[in-house]
Amino acid sequence: MLAHIHEGSPALAKDRLTEVLIRYEAVIGLEIHTEITAVNTKMFCGCPVAFGGEPNTRVCPVCLGMPGALPVPNEAAIEWTVIAGLATECDIALWSQFHRKQYFYPDMPKDYQISQYDLPFCSGGFVDIEVDGDGVAERADLGGALAFVGPEAVPEDGGYRARIGITRIHLEEDTGKMVHVGGSEGRIAGATHSLVDFNRAGTPLMELVSEPDIRTPEEARRFAQKLRSIWLALGVSDCSMEEGSMRVDANVSVRLRGATGLGTKSEVKNMNSFKSLHDAIAYEIVRQADLLDAGSRVVQETRHWDAGAKRTSGLRSKEEAHDYRYFPEPDMVPFSFDPAWIAGLAESLPELPDARRDRYMAEFGLPKHDAAALSAEHALACYFEDAVALAGTDRARLVANWMLGDLAAHLNAEGIEIGSSRVTAAMLAELVGLIEDGTISGKQAKEVFADAAVSGDAPGAIVEARGMKQVSDTSAIEAVVRNVIDAHPDEAANYRAGKTGLIGFFVGQVMREMRGQGNPAVVNEVVRRLLG
Amino acid sequence: MSAIDLSALSAHQVRDSIAAGEFTAREAAEAAYARIEALDGDVHAFLQLTPELAFAAADRVDTARAAGDELPSLAGVPAGIKDNMNLIGTRTTCGSRMLENYESVYDCTAVRRLLDAGALPIGKCNMDEFAFGSSTENSAYGPTHNPWDLARVPGGSSGGSAACVAAGMTSISLGSDTGGSIRQPGALTGTVALKPTYGRVSRYGVVAFGSSLDQIGPFGTSVDDVALALEAISGADSMDATSSSEPVGSYADGLDQGVRGLRVGIVRDMLDLEGCGAEIRASVDMAAETFAALGAEVGEVELPATRHGLAAYYIIGPAEASSNLARFDGIRYGHRAADPADVLDLYMRSRAEGFGPETIRRIMLGTYALSAGYYDAYYGQAQKARTLIIEDFRAAFERFDVLLTPTTPEVAFRFGEKSDPYTMYLNDVYTIPVNLAGNCAISVPSGLCSASGMPIGLQIIGDHFAEATLLRAAAAFEEATGFDPVPPLVNSLGS
Repeated sequence: MLAHIHEGSPALAKDRLTEVLIRYEAVIGLEIHTEITAVNTKMFCGCPVAFGGEPNTRVCPVCLGMPGALPVPNEAAIEWTVIAGLATECDIALWSQFHRKQYFYPDMPKDYQISQYDLPFCSGGFVDIEVDGDGVAERADLGGALAFVGPEAVPEDGGYRARIGITRIHLEEDTGKMVHVGGSEGRIAGATHSLVDFNRAGTPLMELVSEPDIRTPEEARRFAQKLRSIWLALGVSDCSMEEGSMRVDANVSVRLRGATGLGTKSEVKNMNSFKSLHDAIAYEIVRQADLLDAGSRVVQETRHWDAGAKRTSGLRSKEEAHDYRYFPEPDMVPFSFDPAWIAGLAESLPELPDARRDRYMAEFGLPKHDAAALSAEHALACYFEDAVALAGTDRARLVANWMLGDLAAHLNAEGIEIGSSRVTAAMLAELVGLIEDGTISGKQAKEVFADAAVSGDAPGAIVEARGMKQVSDTSAIEAVVRNVIDAHPDEAANYRAGKTGLIGFFVGQVMREMRGQGNPAVVNEVVRRLLG
Repeated sequence: MSAIDLSALSAHQVRDSIAAGEFTAREAAEAAYARIEALDGDVHAFLQLTPELAFAAADRVDTARAAGDELPSLAGVPAGIKDNMNLIGTRTTCGSRMLENYESVYDCTAVRRLLDAGALPIGKCNMDEFAFGSSTENSAYGPTHNPWDLARVPGGSSGGSAACVAAGMTSISLGSDTGGSIRQPGALTGTVALKPTYGRVSRYGVVAFGSSLDQIGPFGTSVDDVALALEAISGADSMDATSSSEPVGSYADGLDQGVRGLRVGIVRDMLDLEGCGAEIRASVDMAAETFAALGAEVGEVELPATRHGLAAYYIIGPAEASSNLARFDGIRYGHRAADPADVLDLYMRSRAEGFGPETIRRIMLGTYALSAGYYDAYYGQAQKARTLIIEDFRAAFERFDVLLTPTTPEVAFRFGEKSDPYTMYLNDVYTIPVNLAGNCAISVPSGLCSASGMPIGLQIIGDHFAEATLLRAAAAFEEATGFDPVPPLVNSLGS
């Protein structure tokens, strides 16, 4: 009834969500599809796994579903799935198999998807997430007290830690892609015809289903981000939400606080960033609460997030009760796994983000926030460790500061990944070395960084070329300071009479004379001494 | 008429004659086409003739011979290929309007192997649509006629493959067998027909009917020809995850080693099934006596769970078929209905127009059996029955090396005689349990029905991957009976 309030409303105010979450509890579960981009070939044939490309160029009789073609399982993809399960504390099935999930759709060549049903490779895992900062406010029930069963307070952040269960991780094949021609924005409505590109069809796809343990949009975001950082640390996928190699759908329902039954859920799709994931769930919570407040009810349906309009809308397709007629895939024999093989994979798991974060805190003395930021993204962590290896452990904090400061700002501004930065780990280490040995000041270093980010030149060469070497020689600085004092007798007298705030004026004049190359610490010391 | 009478020559003899320079492979192909020209207007074994492919293959054989190269095992042997097997350069219609204009884009592994062994691909053989049937009456392109009596069916679904060998149009052929589709037409046409152990021959490229049941196998006029063809097409295939790496035997060698000491079991309860003709029942007992006379240890065994075979099969087979045939949706290939209103309309009309009635019946049966709320009662129960049948065979093969049953409960019937589907399904009552258990089995001619003059087939069943034993038993029986049936139609041609 009141749906129109939000159907037409712009961005959702943050306090609306907070207000709603005081009265209602949201119950959220995520379904996360991740393409296994670590493998060379598709799930059941030898076609290469890649993104995009000329339509229908990475296809063969198997992934096109030609008559008589048969699937042969990609064992590497199965191994990656088991590794993903081990990294998220799942039990690994010793006996498993594929099933056929049957429904007709033009992007699905066989009109069934080879997937898993009651015997997924991985089940019963969990991931711990930590929520801090603004996100804490969404947990209205915690009331700042955090003396709560479930989430555990993390006092140093003013935040909390929560455990999100993983129901299962199974493996399946991705579908092709439909392109609708003639409608608006590629949507099917109004289209005159549709084209299908099967390049993606058959790409190995891990589907992770979480328990409905998530209570806030922020927790959903943190959970998805945590999984992404684990997948990246494992190397299982490039996890690009924009290119669709990681796709997150959310099942959202709300219930009055204190209620035990579950509300009617909607499934929200089409979030192609973590921010969209958060905002779409927040929108959906408020929309559902408003419906209930108005005495109306929530309809079980699939809803589409429109990032532009910042709202979800029903797909308006007739919701059919799907009967997928799952049955065991007869084209493959079931899989039986050797526990020793599983144990071997578990032992060779790489360091995961949380362990890495703790190590950065212990080994390099990084603040928790910095350690977490650097360890969350595998490429960032590798860059950091490469730079520290060159710069020295005692300069790790400085390296971290530069990475989370100027480097992060630069990457953001350019919209690039760290792998594309012209400032390499070796260059950053060199820059930090130049600061630490007093060759350049921190201020000069910012200029050098900016130059290097554009030119790709080594910091040492930039300093050389610009004649930026810092002057720390006391006698040379004393000469300049004396000249400045002599040129400003009134100010010198005032300083000596007690106007000590004029120290900045003298330091500034000296630095100007020295074209910024005076060592600020030495200049300060000399000015005080000669004025005193 | 060509000077070469293929019906009088085995595949071995054709190969050896070519190797000896008595005639060329090209002449063998010409002989095949001449006989097809003479007979196939009546028989209709072929849906498509592929002379370009056959003569190109023949020329390769003749060139190799001229160069003094060693010739492969089936060099110059004319072969028919069931029209559900892909071969580049051919249409693969599966006897269906749905695939009337479908051109193969890759080769079926078994066909490729047969051709690599030097066989000549004469043409694509008629079949019941998508292999659903026991008479070829379900072919969208009209039935094949039995060379023994043109008013009778040749059996099915591989009726075209059986008839072209029976009529001497080709020396060998390939069929596929999901519930008896090789052995039953073999019995009805007096040919030797073998269904290999599940996994023995790659299924890659044969259009799937029941994925857990399908096997490709050969037809021939003698056991040693069938052994030769089986050897050529068998073996592991990286394109079929259910193909077995079990070593392939030299099936054509050792066929003459006899059956002394071989433990032969008559499956008594199957023989006693209602509906089994008295003469057919008697033929199995006579076969047992033959084996005993040859020194085999003959006994009796019961396979009680096979009573559920037909019922289980008509759940599992259609369930898998309903899924396998989903891909024929009018989107990428095959028949597409004109001017669809939307994608659902496109699906529904393309399939309604492209599929024949028996195909639609099987899809509906299978879809129903897998539906929510029915799965356990149908598919689940059928799988349990299947497990029991597997267990029955396993126990029987602890006591016996081969088992004997009739191939079919009756000889070839007349067109239109079996109008209701269930009566038709009963024709496969002896062959179906073997597919459910995954064993190998062969049908060998064991006599002619005194009333109709139509051939009777003896089914010999072997243990998993015991094709060598199976073939040895069949060869001993063949030799002992000295029965070499030639249809009157062929005799009428002279040579």
